[in-house]
Amino acid sequence: MTTIDPERGIHLCGVTKSFGDNTVLRGVTADLPAGRIYGLLGANGVGKTTLMSLICGHSFRSGGTILIDGQDPTENAAVLENLCFVHEDQRYNDNFTIAHILAIMPAFYPHWSEQTAQRLIRAFRLPMKTKSKKLSRGQRSALAITLSLASRAAYTFLDEPYLGLDATSRTLFYEELLREYAAHPRTFILSTHLIDEAAELMEVVLILDDGVVAVHTDVDEARRSSFIVRGRAPEVRSLIGDREVLAERSMGAVVSATVRGHVTDDDRYAAHRDHLSLEDASLQEYVAAIGIHSLTHDSHAPAKDVA
Amino acid sequence: MTPPADGRPIFIEIADHIADDVLAGIYPEEAQVPSTTELSLHYRVNPATAGKALTRLVDEGVLYKRRGLGMFVTTGAPEALRARRRAAFADHYLRPVLAEGNRLGLSPADIIDLIRKESS
Repeated sequence: MTTIDPERGIHLCGVTKSFGDNTVLRGVTADLPAGRIYGLLGANGVGKTTLMSLICGHSFRSGGTILIDGQDPTENAAVLENLCFVHEDQRYNDNFTIAHILAIMPAFYPHWSEQTAQRLIRAFRLPMKTKSKKLSRGQRSALAITLSLASRAAYTFLDEPYLGLDATSRTLFYEELLREYAAHPRTFILSTHLIDEAAELMEVVLILDDGVVAVHTDVDEARRSSFIVRGRAPEVRSLIGDREVLAERSMGAVVSATVRGHVTDDDRYAAHRDHLSLEDASLQEYVAAIGIHSLTHDSHAPAKDVA
Repeated sequence: MTPPADGRPIFIEIADHIADDVLAGIYPEEAQVPSTTELSLHYRVNPATAGKALTRLVDEGVLYKRRGLGMFVTTGAPEALRARRRAAFADHYLRPVLAEGNRLGLSPADIIDLIRKESS
């Protein structure tokens, strides 16, 4: 990419958030240079939405530092107009039509693109005159995506943007996201559970676990960060050695284990010799394994109940 | 075609696709190949991933960059690719065939017979 400015970006340091006794974020620290597409991943209730809300000033952090382009976003209009966060369950005034909603958007987003909005409205076949309360789940998601991309906000947050969207509409979303990103480079932060489907859009992934950033790396590295070995239990155990097992399943004499770490040449040799199957875990399998591992080893389990 | 994808990074797959297209003459010597943006939209991948694919091919000498214009196929690239793939042919194709044959009780001679039958 050509337009990454080292001065610009999101700086998070020790960000915490509690709801009463419930601590969701226990110290989130990360530097996210501007101009990239980030994937914010992790199990349900791990605090992805909470973190996005804090960054966007929609709710207040309990502690820590958040800076956007060097400035605190809290009640800072100059920063906030550069942020767009359409919530997963965004609701509008029930009697507003899509036409009404589109008409008020430029007031919030100085870089609003009517052209992008109209192109996406047509592509998603959104009915301009239907009142927002009558929109289906999929239509509301399509509207949220349309508003997010048309906002042209320097920092756009997409939180589970495609509930209810079919495969065709999701593909359309991926294409439009990349088209917008190519034409007007900016920062996107995308949370999703359809990880393997969306992984190729991302340049950098952050995996939240247990209230902190457990993994922060480029997407190719994340994908090589764990592997799945499958075969007879003794040989599988011998190959794993003392490496960390994130998840394990067995079926009779056969064990399948997701292991943290890179596959080495020794592993390939042992797998060949002992008739084990060996493959990199997909990003989705990696994230799921971290979540499962955390559920079964977690000393802060109550925090997991928070949505 | 290249060996089957076994969880290889997508940028390597894209690089292999472009190399296949160079071998097939879709992009002749000195022809321009698609840009990072075009590859990003075509494969629906992050432009950084598309950029890595092009960088890999530049590092391998298949493509070269003309500043401000884009990426072009190096003269001699198809021949060099062919030579490199021939060198890797035994590793990528013959060894898996022999290993599977071994599991099934097919000797190298049996396999050669099968190849003769298939290609006749």
